[in-house]
Amino acid sequence: MRAQGTSGAPRRDQELWRRSQDIEASLDETENFLDLAAFAENRLDDDDTARIAALIARDAAMAEDVAAARAPTAVEMVAAEDVIARAAGLVAGGRSEAMLIAFPAPWPARKPWYGAATWSGLAAAIAFAGWLGFDLGSGLSNTPLLSRGGDEPSASELLDPAPLMLRDFTENSQI
Amino acid sequence: MPARSHSLNRVGERWLDQVDPLADLLTGDKRSWDSFVRRYAALIVAAVRGVASHTGDIEDLTQEVFVRLCKDDFRLLRSYDSTRASLSTWITIVARSTARDALRRRRPDSVPIDGVPEMYLKVDAVEPLPKLKLPEALLSPRQREILGMLYDLEMDVAEIAAKLGIDPQTVRSAHHKAMLKLRAHFKTDIA
Repeated sequence: MRAQGTSGAPRRDQELWRRSQDIEASLDETENFLDLAAFAENRLDDDDTARIAALIARDAAMAEDVAAARAPTAVEMVAAEDVIARAAGLVAGGRSEAMLIAFPAPWPARKPWYGAATWSGLAAAIAFAGWLGFDLGSGLSNTPLLSRGGDEPSASELLDPAPLMLRDFTENSQI
Repeated sequence: MPARSHSLNRVGERWLDQVDPLADLLTGDKRSWDSFVRRYAALIVAAVRGVASHTGDIEDLTQEVFVRLCKDDFRLLRSYDSTRASLSTWITIVARSTARDALRRRRPDSVPIDGVPEMYLKVDAVEPLPKLKLPEALLSPRQREILGMLYDLEMDVAEIAAKLGIDPQTVRSAHHKAMLKLRAHFKTDIA
């Protein structure tokens, strides 16, 4: 096997290798904890053992952690009650103290005809309002209001307020 | 309050690992958490003691470890894999690392610079540690060496085997394992 072969896989492997050399590693901390613990217990294979050993050689703190994890503790280890109580308080009451909150019952399912009746009623109301408006408006031209002359405002002015709004109210004023 | 203490020794610590204390704990069960705390507090205190410079810090650092273990719905505890290491060893590693990080974050005590004799202000030159490159984090020294010979020096397998004094099949195997790790890291689907 030679790296500069023309086949695709070695070429891609070579590119991957070169690319990796330009990247700074960011250790996955959770993975690193497991690696160090496994290393302390001699559970890694040869390659990973060598890899972690090399990492530890660079980092004195990691080396101390592994040594501490490996060291037999002859002395009695003691945790005070207040330390335990403080840590136990970090997790509040779980399932045993949980309360069930009753939500109101959902609306009963509507019957299929309910929607049809609602929309039919709405359509009938719109049709009735339209007919009523047309009927009232059709007799308006016969009202005496429209036959008045002179200075009185005509019915067309009442129906169309725009000319009134635009009238110059100062035309008859005397200063 | 009488100082009732809980103690264990290394034999007891091994017993700790024979029972899976995480099964109910990770569901948020309060009693399981209390039991976990009671079971591992002494171990965490011992681990933290190895890092803390002042005995007065031990209690707070122990609490920091427990906070980290239960933070974000026990995210760190969920990452523990019992097939890879025992829980007590893993907790020792986690506790020491957490305590050290917590100590680093604390602001050191400061004194006015005018009050310090000049001889104490001398700082030895410290060479910064070179940044870790990806192959160093992922691959063993032997795997890196073989990939370097293969792809940088463009040697073939027989030459590498002769140079390293190992079997050519060992070279191929190391290359294969190393590439699996690199591909997994880059999440490539190269066969």
